[in-house]
Amino acid sequence: MIGIVSYLVFLATVASILAIAVLGLNLQWGNTGLFNGGVAAFFGAGAYGTLILGGGPQDGQLGGFGLFYPLALLGGMATAGLLAWGVGILTLRLRHDYLAISTFGIAVAFENLMRNAQWLGGGAQGLHGFERPLHAALGDGFLYNILFLLCVLVILVLTYRFLETLVASPFGRQLRAIREDETAARSLGKVPTRIRLTAFVTGCVILGLAGGLYGTFYAFVSPQDILPTLTFQIWAMLIVGGAGNNKGAVLGAFLIWGAWTASGWALSRFAPIEAQLYTGSIQYILIGLVIVGMLLWRPQGLLPERLVVSQTGHTKT
Amino acid sequence: MIQHLLDGILVGAVLSLGAAGLTMVMHMLRFANFSHAELLSIGAYSALVFDALFKGILPVLAAQIGLLSMTGTLALSMVFSMVTTGISAVIFDKLIFRRVREKGEELSMVFASFGLALIIRNAISLIFGLQTKLYSQDIVFATVLSREPLVLVKPDQLATLGITLAIILLLHFILSRTTFGYALRAVAENQSLAQVNGINLQRMIVVVWMLGGGLAALAGVFYGLNNQITPVIGRDLVLPIFAATIVGGIGSIYGALLGGFVVGIAANLAVMVLPSGYSPSIPFLIIIAVLLIRPNGMFGMERT
Amino acid sequence: MGVLNMKRCNRILVSTLGVAMGLAVSGGAVAAQDCTTKIGAVLPTSVDWGRPIAETAQFVVDQVNEAGGVAGCNVEMVLRDSQVDPKIGVDAAKALVDLDGVQVLLGAVSSGVSMPILTSVTVPGNVLQMSCCSSSTAFTKLAEEGKTKQLFFRTFATTGVQAAVGAKVAKDRGYKSVAILYKNDDWGQDLQNLISKDFKALGIIVTSATAINDGQPSYRAEVTSALSGNPDALYLGLYPNEGTAAVREWLSLGGTQNMIVANSLKSDEFRDNVGLQYLGKTFGTDTASPRVASADSFVAAYEAKFGSAPNGPGLANSYDATMIALLAMEAAGKDATGDQIATQVARVTDPAGTPVTADSAGFSTARDVLASGSNVMYQGATGNVRFDENGDVSAPAVVWKFVEGSVEEVEYMSLTDVDDFIASLK
Repeated sequence: MIGIVSYLVFLATVASILAIAVLGLNLQWGNTGLFNGGVAAFFGAGAYGTLILGGGPQDGQLGGFGLFYPLALLGGMATAGLLAWGVGILTLRLRHDYLAISTFGIAVAFENLMRNAQWLGGGAQGLHGFERPLHAALGDGFLYNILFLLCVLVILVLTYRFLETLVASPFGRQLRAIREDETAARSLGKVPTRIRLTAFVTGCVILGLAGGLYGTFYAFVSPQDILPTLTFQIWAMLIVGGAGNNKGAVLGAFLIWGAWTASGWALSRFAPIEAQLYTGSIQYILIGLVIVGMLLWRPQGLLPERLVVSQTGHTKT
Repeated sequence: MIQHLLDGILVGAVLSLGAAGLTMVMHMLRFANFSHAELLSIGAYSALVFDALFKGILPVLAAQIGLLSMTGTLALSMVFSMVTTGISAVIFDKLIFRRVREKGEELSMVFASFGLALIIRNAISLIFGLQTKLYSQDIVFATVLSREPLVLVKPDQLATLGITLAIILLLHFILSRTTFGYALRAVAENQSLAQVNGINLQRMIVVVWMLGGGLAALAGVFYGLNNQITPVIGRDLVLPIFAATIVGGIGSIYGALLGGFVVGIAANLAVMVLPSGYSPSIPFLIIIAVLLIRPNGMFGMERT
Repeated sequence: MGVLNMKRCNRILVSTLGVAMGLAVSGGAVAAQDCTTKIGAVLPTSVDWGRPIAETAQFVVDQVNEAGGVAGCNVEMVLRDSQVDPKIGVDAAKALVDLDGVQVLLGAVSSGVSMPILTSVTVPGNVLQMSCCSSSTAFTKLAEEGKTKQLFFRTFATTGVQAAVGAKVAKDRGYKSVAILYKNDDWGQDLQNLISKDFKALGIIVTSATAINDGQPSYRAEVTSALSGNPDALYLGLYPNEGTAAVREWLSLGGTQNMIVANSLKSDEFRDNVGLQYLGKTFGTDTASPRVASADSFVAAYEAKFGSAPNGPGLANSYDATMIALLAMEAAGKDATGDQIATQVARVTDPAGTPVTADSAGFSTARDVLASGSNVMYQGATGNVRFDENGDVSAPAVVWKFVEGSVEEVEYMSLTDVDDFIASLK
């Protein structure tokens, strides 16, 4: 029994960390209409930033600042934010499928950088030797994982509340305005480029937060963690859950992560021995079918955006 | 340096063919089709199957053509493969893209194309296995064009380039001089207005997919001829082909041609400047650079 | 809608088939065991070179079950695909430990997956982790810092040996300059760093060291830049897929046929796709299998089962990893926990112990020897495996070349020879 609970705690922790990332993406795509194809780069910036700032000394590479953990996490978020600001200035004016490809390219370049610049992030070996916060006091076991999950859940809830407030605020209305009709918004004196940049950077900072937590949880990060497949997974979660809806974003994260892991488990448990070697490919096919099926059935996602109408129009009879 | 330039053009020819198909599909159907590169895989593997078939039935054709490593059977298989790939593309459209087009918006189609790409790639690896395959084990040696500076070309690559140029010219001619070409472009510009003029939309869509699939099959076979055949051809080529399409400008066939060369050349020249570990980033850096200067690509048009 | 229904029907069909298969298999089992011990394996089965590694591990499990299982119980290997994605691999490992209760984990292959599994699952869970193929020097550092709790072992000889022997081959053959093409992952980067230093120490010029990335459409640019230095020879630290592409390109552009390859290219696929006619002057390095008849019987059994020689990256290592893990489980007895099993690894790889062969018969012999309280020296597919205190393996080395249908040994270097040579490079 305890095994199942322990596994579920682990599963929930990873799902929650990914949910935070999906919330960040939702701000960018769901609320502002920015097609961010480079999720992995900002996520990675947060992970690497946190681990470099908070980790022990590494020979031959950057590191060893050993900062107090919350500072290290904030540092990771700031790294993601800085990267986002630079990328945003360059690319946000492009139309959205070009924005997707450009940001995707940034992610590929970032992964290449971390893979090749051994002095920066350890190259393909990655950054190891990170001590999880309070590890010395609490050890490694079930208790630690539960406490970690609770912390992540608290952060998730706080992020959710923050984004809900943001969306309901005047800034949120500005986002919707420039998404729906940029010319009209501009005629009212709004500056779309600045608003978009703010939304983009904020979303990326949240992605960086998720990345930092991810690196902390595994006490390790390597270029393999920031491959394009991560971007694809986060997007799948948002699409399935419902773009434009924060609850949908979280739901999508839990659903897709749960389905991805459960399908792997189910295939290894139930598929005949001869097929065991092929379960990997079969699983990818199943995932592809789920995505396509979802889009054929309910392209707006499970929980679509709920538009708030502040004033109804009156028609004169 | 000259070698790198030449390499770039030769490698880029395959990208140009792939980009030509993609640019037509993207222009007509208004979505970024990430499963287009998988059509190259389908093309390469179909040709492999047909080649084995024809070698059995018509062994007389199994001789290599001149200096190339392409055999008569492979050339024949290429044509058959173009047809089957085109038909596959039409089927995928009917099964998936058309329905998503009706219900959802552009992002849904992009995503559906991702999902489709995953399915195709893994289905191919289940059917054919993950091992590397080749059309011919023989290694064809490059001809030395000049010794100082050292410039080498492989006859296969020259043939690829030649055929690519011919096809692109033909395609451009069709699109700009024939009524059929006008009809295609009309549908791409404004679907409703084109239909008002009596153009059958569904038939045009089928034609575009057939063309796109055929070009992709050709690109896939040339890629397999010059490199090797694995189930991940699509995954490896999707981004350079996108880069070529975007750099050239969506909707322009000549743009696709030039885009392919630009990406190929940049990838080859970059190795002189950056450590080769950064090679995968090069297509993007080009895209970003080009888009900053010309936001619609070199020959692209502002989309309505 | 139709798609979702199809998925559900498929799942029912698959699970029915699975149950039917299970019943069929258990009906005809030899020496019917009434208990089952599970071990876990997290391997990249959706990658071309990953599938044979998993097959080999299962092969060992079948052999051990033929010999009566471990501690009186049938062994079941629960296999999960890591998809070369660290978070998937870690989740799979966690499920194996928590839900299936495995005490032994085989995996993973790439260091980027093995490392987080180690830090998040096996060390906290006190489970033995045996990797066939993770090469990163980071594991050694981690073990030296005491963070692995001596639960991590790998049957992958340290890259330092491979690099040194590669350099020696170049020196012996009189090459004055070498170009290096290496895979751009942790193994390849390590290899390139080490062998470049070794070449320099021997006075051989490295004309270029070019990284080969996975999944690129063409390696023409990299090959052209390697060619430009006009080297006497080419050193390849690549896997068969990109190795084939690079070498074919290299040869077709007139590159020299003098090549030195790492053990990753000791593969039939590479030999067949490049062509034996061009590989006459290619020499490879590898860890040595023992000069005993048992090694031949291992190869024979493997060929009987799979129809081809056990060439290919990681196969012999995977075999040894699995067999040693099962031997240690046998030594630890029924219901042993992971850390208990880990302490028994030394007992089954004792150089002074009774030698046993790498097959079912060897396992039976080992069982009897261990039951009597003595130690065993396992003579594996990669040699007489002996772990140091960090779970690393050094081994004697061998230089090989391709011949029709197989590979042939050209030179053998004992462990002392290798150590001496490495010392001479300092």
